[in-house]
Amino acid sequence: MLVLDQVRRSDPRLRSLALLIFLGFAILLVGLWFVQVVSQRKYENSLRIQAFRTVRVPAARGRILDREGRVLVDNQPRYNINLFLEDIRPQFTHEYTNTLKKEFVAQHGRTPKASERWALEKEARYRVVSNIVWQVSSAVSPQPLLLNPYGFEKHYREQRAIPMSLVTDLTPQQIALFTGKAADLPGVELEVEPYRFYPHGSLAAHALGYTLRDQKSEQAKEGEISFHYRMADYQGATGLEGGYNEELQGKAGAKAILVNNIGYRQSEETWVESLPGKNLVLTLDLEIQKAAERALAMSGPDTRGAVVALNVKNGDILALASAPAYDLNMFVRGRDYTSNDWARLNDPVLTPQYNRALQGAYHPGSTFKIIVALAAFEAGIMDLQTKVYNPGYYMVGKRRIADNNAPVGEWAFVEAFKRSANTYFIDVGLKAGEEKLIEMGRRFNLGEKTGVVQPGLESKGHFPDIGPRVKADGSRWTDGDTANLALGQGEIMVTPMQMALVTAAVANGGTLLRPRLVLQLEEQGENALPEVIPAFQNERDISVNQQHLQWIRRAMLEDVEDQKAGTGKGAYIPGMSICGKTGTAQVQTPHGMNHVTWFVSFAPFDSPKYAVVVVMETGSHGSGALLCAPKAKEVYKAIQKSDLDRLKNIAVN
Amino acid sequence: MYEAALTQKEPKIDWLLIGALAGLMLVGLAFIFSASTASDPNSRFWIKQAISYGLGLGVAIAICFIPYETLSRFATVGYWFAIALLVSVMFFGTTRFGAKRWIDLGFFQFQPSEFAKIAVIFMQASFLSRSQEELRDPKIFMKSLGLILLPFILILKEPDLGSALVLFPIGFGIMLVAGVPMKFLRRFISGIAVLVVLLLVDILFAPPQWQIKLEEYQRHRLLVYFGQDFAPRHASEADRQRLRQLQKDKSYNVEQALISVGSGGLTGKGWRQGTQNALGFLPRAVAHNDFIFSVIAEEKGFLGSVMVIGLYSVLIFSGIKIAYQARDRLGKLLAVGVVTMLFSHIFINIGMNIRLMPVTGIPLPLLSYGGSSVLCSLIAIGLLQNVYIYRRSY
Repeated sequence: MLVLDQVRRSDPRLRSLALLIFLGFAILLVGLWFVQVVSQRKYENSLRIQAFRTVRVPAARGRILDREGRVLVDNQPRYNINLFLEDIRPQFTHEYTNTLKKEFVAQHGRTPKASERWALEKEARYRVVSNIVWQVSSAVSPQPLLLNPYGFEKHYREQRAIPMSLVTDLTPQQIALFTGKAADLPGVELEVEPYRFYPHGSLAAHALGYTLRDQKSEQAKEGEISFHYRMADYQGATGLEGGYNEELQGKAGAKAILVNNIGYRQSEETWVESLPGKNLVLTLDLEIQKAAERALAMSGPDTRGAVVALNVKNGDILALASAPAYDLNMFVRGRDYTSNDWARLNDPVLTPQYNRALQGAYHPGSTFKIIVALAAFEAGIMDLQTKVYNPGYYMVGKRRIADNNAPVGEWAFVEAFKRSANTYFIDVGLKAGEEKLIEMGRRFNLGEKTGVVQPGLESKGHFPDIGPRVKADGSRWTDGDTANLALGQGEIMVTPMQMALVTAAVANGGTLLRPRLVLQLEEQGENALPEVIPAFQNERDISVNQQHLQWIRRAMLEDVEDQKAGTGKGAYIPGMSICGKTGTAQVQTPHGMNHVTWFVSFAPFDSPKYAVVVVMETGSHGSGALLCAPKAKEVYKAIQKSDLDRLKNIAVN
Repeated sequence: MYEAALTQKEPKIDWLLIGALAGLMLVGLAFIFSASTASDPNSRFWIKQAISYGLGLGVAIAICFIPYETLSRFATVGYWFAIALLVSVMFFGTTRFGAKRWIDLGFFQFQPSEFAKIAVIFMQASFLSRSQEELRDPKIFMKSLGLILLPFILILKEPDLGSALVLFPIGFGIMLVAGVPMKFLRRFISGIAVLVVLLLVDILFAPPQWQIKLEEYQRHRLLVYFGQDFAPRHASEADRQRLRQLQKDKSYNVEQALISVGSGGLTGKGWRQGTQNALGFLPRAVAHNDFIFSVIAEEKGFLGSVMVIGLYSVLIFSGIKIAYQARDRLGKLLAVGVVTMLFSHIFINIGMNIRLMPVTGIPLPLLSYGGSSVLCSLIAIGLLQNVYIYRRSY
């Protein structure tokens, strides 16, 4: 250094002073380098910890649509009034210095001590905020709200940086009142928050499932930062909302609130954008679903029953109805519902939350005769010409089983089938033997879940195992049990969905399908490609003689088309060639005799496309013929219309 | 640049020094603006600082018209006047933050301790600008030591430990360059060292009844600096809790200054983009004065820190060059006094921002907000120019 060179020449004392100073600067530079460059990260972290509050921002939840893109589950805006505390800080100070402190001084003749000051400031805050709450709430509702001091202090202590919710879910009238009277109050703002909305109320309630509003949902998942605050979120609780919760929910984002040294909000910035959830496109057809539910409701609001409509070619579920149902919005906006609504939700007889289409396990009654006939054909013990005489009853050992279905006389298969003659099917069932019956039932996966929904939301029914047989109560299998089984009673329970698959397999030539409820997942946003859920590989060929299936289909057609003797004639629609089988199972319960009535069907006869199954729980009366067949007819009408509409649309486009 | 200045015939003014000075003043204005307007957009601190700069420059220029030789004739008078002011502070001073340091003149409040530093420089320089033989006399040495100790005690009483302690490096620098025998200086240094160590041991470790009486806040600052627990070993749980909280409060400024400086990183967050000050973590009462360096370091990063230190280096080493070129011993010692005073301030203040030094109320020359400090610094620099201008003849 030039300066030092000059010094060095003459004055050693001055030179050593210069050296000391030089050393001093060097120490400062090294120290600064250490703090600012080496330890930068550490101090940035401290800064972040003290100055940022992270908030979990939920992503927009995906919507649920029917196969035509019609909305089944939506998000709707709702309006809340929030209070931003940082905006009213001046009022806190004002209230303290101009009122509370003056009062204190007047009373005690001295200024407050630190601890007293703290209490007074707290009181000042409460006064200011409760005043605002009063003004806001009296503007929008006839009953002003009182601010809970404990709740407010808790919010102030723990969530100072985020706005405080004053009034939630305003009606349009309240919004108008608010903007007119209270919107210019300091710190008060109207906030829009999305909430889950089910536009069709109880439609497809069991399939869709409901969501619950969740503030403290799922603690930080793997890879997520742990947040100071979480914004309200919706969690799917059951049904598709529950089963596809992850996909619907998307990925939550994060925003950071910059706070000052006393914790008030200064500004916000988004750290991680949220990733919107995917839309769920279902196989359901809104119109067919509506028709199915209307059909069930034909027998009154307390009807207990289920309807399943399937595409027999690919397993797409077009309607999945269970009655009674409940309004899905109840769990989002509970306060709009009466205590009666809530009581009904848990009614032990109606059990509206119970999905009868998938969880309901019933004796199939005469509808099981389809499988009995198939087993007998396959066993080679009968053909279309085989005749059995019906004396009006059947004796199995010492037990006499009455047969009022068919008149006394000798009947061949088709005549016996469409009259649902018990004698006939007990006879061929016993001839084929229980092993053949059970083996055939197992080919249709009876006694197993279909896998269409979460395992907990489906019943597997009950069906005996192949091999050495023991009944459910542990007792020995007898011919009486085989006779019972041949009539779809006793050791057999099936769900409506299982019977729909049985019917579909008979219709489509022996392919047992796996049902499908979700067609595709699609990203929200413009140029996002849908993620198609592939149609399931046909799960199993039941490998039976096509001729035998054709005989059964023919008999099922007769059952509907024979307007005199057919038990299923109530489902008849001219030109649609609907094929069906009715059934009525009688169950002895502690409350008396309970009937379960059935109608299983497919259409059209020539090239089957649809299967419709209707089940109803009735009291001591009713039959599948009277109750269920006409309901199936309604569903077929809707299917017909839906097909027509689609054709029209294609023609127009 | 200054080669040109040197080869030039009889340059009247050291332009390099003036350049560094101008740079520092601009930095000062920019960051006082940044620090004070972040919380209060209407703050006029930077304008007041500009006025102080103007005033200081005026006084500095005025000083340059009178040769330092002439000025030093009033050294003794000035010294005793300063002592008188320090004494009068004890009676008529205004108390701020628990310390009596200011004299209120109605339109202007000033700190006599700042001017006492200048007076001590003058006094020491003229007292020690005598022949080497006389300097070997221990009595002379004792006298010159006494000249430092008297204002030291008075300033310590205010209390202002920082300003008082700065007198020692000033005195030491002048004695060193004046040629006071090394054995005296060694004793001086070791004496101070022993004193400081005893003081620290006493304050940090001795039981309360054995401790010398120190202002409570001074004790706290030292405890914070040395990372000592506030709570004595046998304190009750309630006391311990109270003292812990106190400790947290007391360490707060230093912690926040460190976070400011550290989070600035290499290049800083940009002028007026610093959050520590804007959000109030760095207390607003100190951001624009004692802790102005934190604001600069946060907003301009390590590069900004280097720039500030660079400007100061130019200033300081120009001062040393002036000392070297000075026409006589008086001029040289005056320059050395000014240089050591400025350097001590810089080192202590920046050191305190990065926890190299305990917290003291020592301002950063020219950058910290404050009239007395600015005036004192500019008078000192005017004095340097004076020595430079009259290096040949007067």
